Amino acid sequence: MTNLDAYAPPGGLTDLSPEGRRLWSDYIAARVDDATSGRPQFYNLLRTETAADATEAPVSWTAFPRKIKLNSISDVQRWDRADAGRDVQDEYCEWSITRDESGKITRVTFTCEGPEYWDVLAKTSPDTALRLYQEHISPEVRRSDLFDPAGEYVRENRWNNSTTHGAMHLIQAANTLGAEIELAAAASNRRVIGGVELTGEQELINCAGYGDPERNSDPHIGAVVNSVARSRADVTLADPVGLYFDDLATDGWAAPDGSDPKSYWTYVRGDANHPVRAVYEVPADRGFAVGDLTIGGEPIEFGAQIADFITIKLVAVACRFGQSTAEPETSCIGSGPVHTFLPGRPSRATRSTRTTAAATV
Amino acid sequence: MSNPPVIAPPLDTESRPATARPQPPEPRGFAAAARAANTVYRQVDGVDELPRPMTEAELATLGDPMAELLLRRGTFPTTLPALLEGLAEVAGRDVVDGVFLISESGQIPPEVAPGLRRDIRFAIVCTVRGRETDLLISAGANVDPARTFLQVAAWDERAGAFNFYMRSGTTWIWAGDSWAALEPETRGRGCFDSHVNGGVVMKELKQPWINWQSMSASIRLAADAPLRTDPLYQRVEGAEELEIKMRGLVGRWTAARLSRVAGGEAVEHPDRLLRQLLTTTTVNLTSTETASAAVTRDLVLPSGFWLNTDLLINSLHLPAAHRAWPAVPAAHYLRSLTNFGFRLEDPESGFFKSGDTFFAFLVPEVADEDNEVVRQMVRRGLITARFAACALMVDFANPVFSPARAALMRYVPTGTSPAATLGESIATAIVTAAAARPAGSPEAQFAANWALAEDEWKPEFGRRLTTYLDAVADRARTEAGFDDYVRLAESRRLDFRDTRLHEFALTLPVTEIARDAARLQMNADGTVSTRV
Repeated sequence: MTNLDAYAPPGGLTDLSPEGRRLWSDYIAARVDDATSGRPQFYNLLRTETAADATEAPVSWTAFPRKIKLNSISDVQRWDRADAGRDVQDEYCEWSITRDESGKITRVTFTCEGPEYWDVLAKTSPDTALRLYQEHISPEVRRSDLFDPAGEYVRENRWNNSTTHGAMHLIQAANTLGAEIELAAAASNRRVIGGVELTGEQELINCAGYGDPERNSDPHIGAVVNSVARSRADVTLADPVGLYFDDLATDGWAAPDGSDPKSYWTYVRGDANHPVRAVYEVPADRGFAVGDLTIGGEPIEFGAQIADFITIKLVAVACRFGQSTAEPETSCIGSGPVHTFLPGRPSRATRSTRTTAAATV
Repeated sequence: MSNPPVIAPPLDTESRPATARPQPPEPRGFAAAARAANTVYRQVDGVDELPRPMTEAELATLGDPMAELLLRRGTFPTTLPALLEGLAEVAGRDVVDGVFLISESGQIPPEVAPGLRRDIRFAIVCTVRGRETDLLISAGANVDPARTFLQVAAWDERAGAFNFYMRSGTTWIWAGDSWAALEPETRGRGCFDSHVNGGVVMKELKQPWINWQSMSASIRLAADAPLRTDPLYQRVEGAEELEIKMRGLVGRWTAARLSRVAGGEAVEHPDRLLRQLLTTTTVNLTSTETASAAVTRDLVLPSGFWLNTDLLINSLHLPAAHRAWPAVPAAHYLRSLTNFGFRLEDPESGFFKSGDTFFAFLVPEVADEDNEVVRQMVRRGLITARFAACALMVDFANPVFSPARAALMRYVPTGTSPAATLGESIATAIVTAAAARPAGSPEAQFAANWALAEDEWKPEFGRRLTTYLDAVADRARTEAGFDDYVRLAESRRLDFRDTRLHEFALTLPVTEIARDAARLQMNADGTVSTRV
């Protein structure tokens, strides 16, 4: 197999101009290059060949923010808190809710598009960015809503900074593609502490210090990537690099007319295997709305109720199994002490890799 | 007898859990030589003394995809791959919706315990017809497919029930349907010792889904484990997705059940429903979300240890005003592991490891299938939310194994009763009896609850829960208080250990507390005492 010529836009999106595509590929390549430093098993698809034994390793997790769940005492409280602001929606999935005059939910829009893509799009094709906002958020969106007086794109603009007025792309501080790349890279280093190789989600993230150990996503991404690295393979994120919707499960859901609740879930951006935007909405001619559906017998009153049933994914790719000669790390850099499920207490140090403020283009 | 994920007991010794109670390698009187090929046998334990071939008329009553699409057409797959292939052939597509993996030893590194039997099992969810799950498979994953157990639970839309099957040799045995779980002669027998109320089972239902491969933890395999190359293993998904499916299936069976027994103006066998409110018919297992080896700061104990939170708070919306679930300082937890001699033991292999289960503080909690019956009874108006709350607030600090709540079963009618007045009539019977019972008796507690005005019971119960949670939160932060909760947790684990749901040596930790120690109870003031 040969090297990749360029990183493709996430989800196979076609919004970018040729210049935009080039900038996008350059951006991802630069982030991957940055992340490979000190991570000998992590590689850049543009610089290093992916061998014929390549295998993809999908990683999926639940979209509802675990940190909110951990710190709430009831379902209603956690749903309410998760619906309250985008800043707590930190599992690489954010949403915005539309209600009718009575407060009943009529539509929930979910996005897992990284903000960096929109930086590039807005910089290279501002008219396209505006058109997409008008198409997906509101016809009322104006250019001045999206760009500051200096012409710079504003990620958290008035149409993308709440859970009520639209969600065009991710804005939560940790929800960036740069963070995704850094996390995967950091997890690609094997860690043998006190003679014991770390393998578990919690012990790895505590030791390696990537991401937030209380999220669903970060520990799991790290553990899966590390499991591949333990096969002495080289590993990276598959092209197109991005976060994607994995699925919406509707087991236990019911619509008033007996129709299939899954049929109201629609992907509106991204290709079939890499959807990046989804809408849950009942067509007007059905005579009922999202808020009339039930989950486990209870009506849908929060967008977060739907998030409980959404899974988000990324895909890693690995090759050259058994060939890596990289030596494992023998000390920890995480901020917390680590123990293994067997005797042995690794040392501790401080470093954190899932950023809270992403690099911009 | 049963394998946790889906259905009933392994029949062959090869894959039987190391410490499961003794099981015959074959059903009684079912010698290989006596089997007729391509024949469906039935053995509903409690009804059929010996396995016998099903008649055509009996087979015709089975309306699930296993019976209709395979067995009645003469297809008798004897391995998991053959079963999936057979289903795909009749469906014209891949029918697998999800492949899941469980092992009680899944977090023990294979290289440090080479003699430990791994007992890794697949749970496979299929949609053969329609758009909803209608067939579930449980099978050994790390053993010869021809020799390991192979079991199926298949939804029969016509009967509104699951049919339970197991492969034996080259034949299949029908072990009964969901309704048999409820009948006295078959209840708790055969596969219904784990499918206690006739549904499908995922004991470790909630995050972190201890023992399951999930987004919280992955099952460890040796680098050269043959399972790695199994096509099904390549498709394993996280238990977070199985939880959703299992909750949906429990809801579907419960709805079908209530439609049949309470669909009109009368309720058949109200006691069979109300026992799921007042007693512990079965349990789920829950734990903290923190790995026991990684407890370095306050450990938030599972909410189900304190209360039936799913019903009281999430379904009945009692307004408890506490801000967070009680937590224990890490030092107390770590010290308790030493003081109480926590360890994992597998007598068969000699495996021994000091410490707790992989995720810390594993305890039984109220089963979702019990709660789902109550939720749907309330939704259908068979009982009111107030009635359910008044009953659950009797001895509310003991969400499982409460003799006090169970004592109220004597007031529940066993015969067909009017649906419209079911809850009211039971309440009246209890209140009447309470007059002759001492203060503090279950009847008196219920009567006091029932006497609260319509606009008062919720706030009052909320206040009680808040007071209780404040008390246990304070006690959990003291060494003596937390030690009491460790003893209480072990008491509940011992209750679980006594049930036939407990099958695997490594499911529970072992402690220095004697297995016959007096059982304990939580009190509403947060203290722990010998169970009355």
